[in-house]
Amino acid sequence: MLRLYIASILLVAFSEPLAAQDNPLTVVDVKSAKPRPTPRMSDGHPDLSGYWKGTRDTVPGGNIAKDLPGLKLPLTAAGEAALQHNLTATIDPESLCIIGGIPRHNASGLPFEILQGAKKVAFLYWYSYYRLIPIDAKRKHTEDPDPSFFGEEIGRWEGDALVIDSIGFKDEKVWIDENANPHSDALHVVERWTRPDADHIHVETLIEDPKFYTKSFKYSRTWVLGKPDEEIQEYSCSENNVDKDHLGFGPGPIRPDGTRGYLDPAPLPPPVQKPPANK
Amino acid sequence: MKVPFAIAAALLSMIVGLPASAHHSFAAEFDASKAIRVSGTLTKIDWANPHIYFYLDVKEDGGNVVKWSCEAGSPGALSRRGFKKGDLKLGDTLIVDGYRAKDGSRLMDARRVTLPDGRVVSGASVGDGGPGSQNQ
Repeated sequence: MLRLYIASILLVAFSEPLAAQDNPLTVVDVKSAKPRPTPRMSDGHPDLSGYWKGTRDTVPGGNIAKDLPGLKLPLTAAGEAALQHNLTATIDPESLCIIGGIPRHNASGLPFEILQGAKKVAFLYWYSYYRLIPIDAKRKHTEDPDPSFFGEEIGRWEGDALVIDSIGFKDEKVWIDENANPHSDALHVVERWTRPDADHIHVETLIEDPKFYTKSFKYSRTWVLGKPDEEIQEYSCSENNVDKDHLGFGPGPIRPDGTRGYLDPAPLPPPVQKPPANK
Repeated sequence: MKVPFAIAAALLSMIVGLPASAHHSFAAEFDASKAIRVSGTLTKIDWANPHIYFYLDVKEDGGNVVKWSCEAGSPGALSRRGFKKGDLKLGDTLIVDGYRAKDGSRLMDARRVTLPDGRVVSGASVGDGGPGSQNQ
């Protein structure tokens, strides 16, 4: 069986055209013996600004349970029911051009960009989405914030960590990650962003949701600084979303390693030996 | 066929466990068991987000001409790997290899496109979990 599996992988791997990849969206994190120092703002805080790309070390990608033993989320009964609903009755909200929100964007393989000021920090995402977070240690969450995909976010500095505390999330049309895991409107997310050196940014995310999860859990990740000329490009998600009418419910099969996709895809036909002559 | 473990492990690490990122999961729309080849005349190009589409008139065995819709990655992802809008010219004959939509419509994920000049370009969507998505 294993031999068959490896053979099918080899077939697929070698049957794909190996396109030139000068600027892949994810990169291999090559550690430097002498890392460049963390850039700092004039007030002394780290400057998190930059175009950040995921690394091949983030496995399984797109799965919020990445750091949990056995990739097992501590779902409540209501959370399990919500997961089954997402898998069997909902189309991926992101594929319908609905904002992914937090923490899903932190689990995405797509790069993002940060622009930081003294009082606000902006996260710019693929799909032309953004979040704008005030940095104000004195600010408190409001009594009954309007539900939103990124939540009501407040930033503050704790030493060299930018802490973003968020409540007030949507409870419909949201998946917490690419695999259709759920979150409710009781979601509380605390992100601790650090830039240990010039070329890396790191987040430790605490996720609490007593409606759907029996206990809080963490999601941590590191990104690598992109090239100086790389930046977020225009991306109008609903411009040509033809496939929205062809999508099934849920993400499709999840592989044993926690990633979405088929385990044993059929190989493509053998490469064409003779170019197609124009008629 | 015996596959040296190191090679197999390297390929496995290339293929599985990469960050997911696409606009939608390959498996939510396409059937990986239905690998197909379609050859036809290019009639329309929509080079736009979230996915480009191009459309072919395909002559079936009986002589009937049917229309096929071909989905590929986003304009930015394709351009980055060297697949440009100018590579597609109306009236060209293209050979497209990919996977058919699960709903049975004449829609396919254009994983590999062979152009009239013999160039082969990857139309795969970035990180969609589909076959070969390790190459984006």
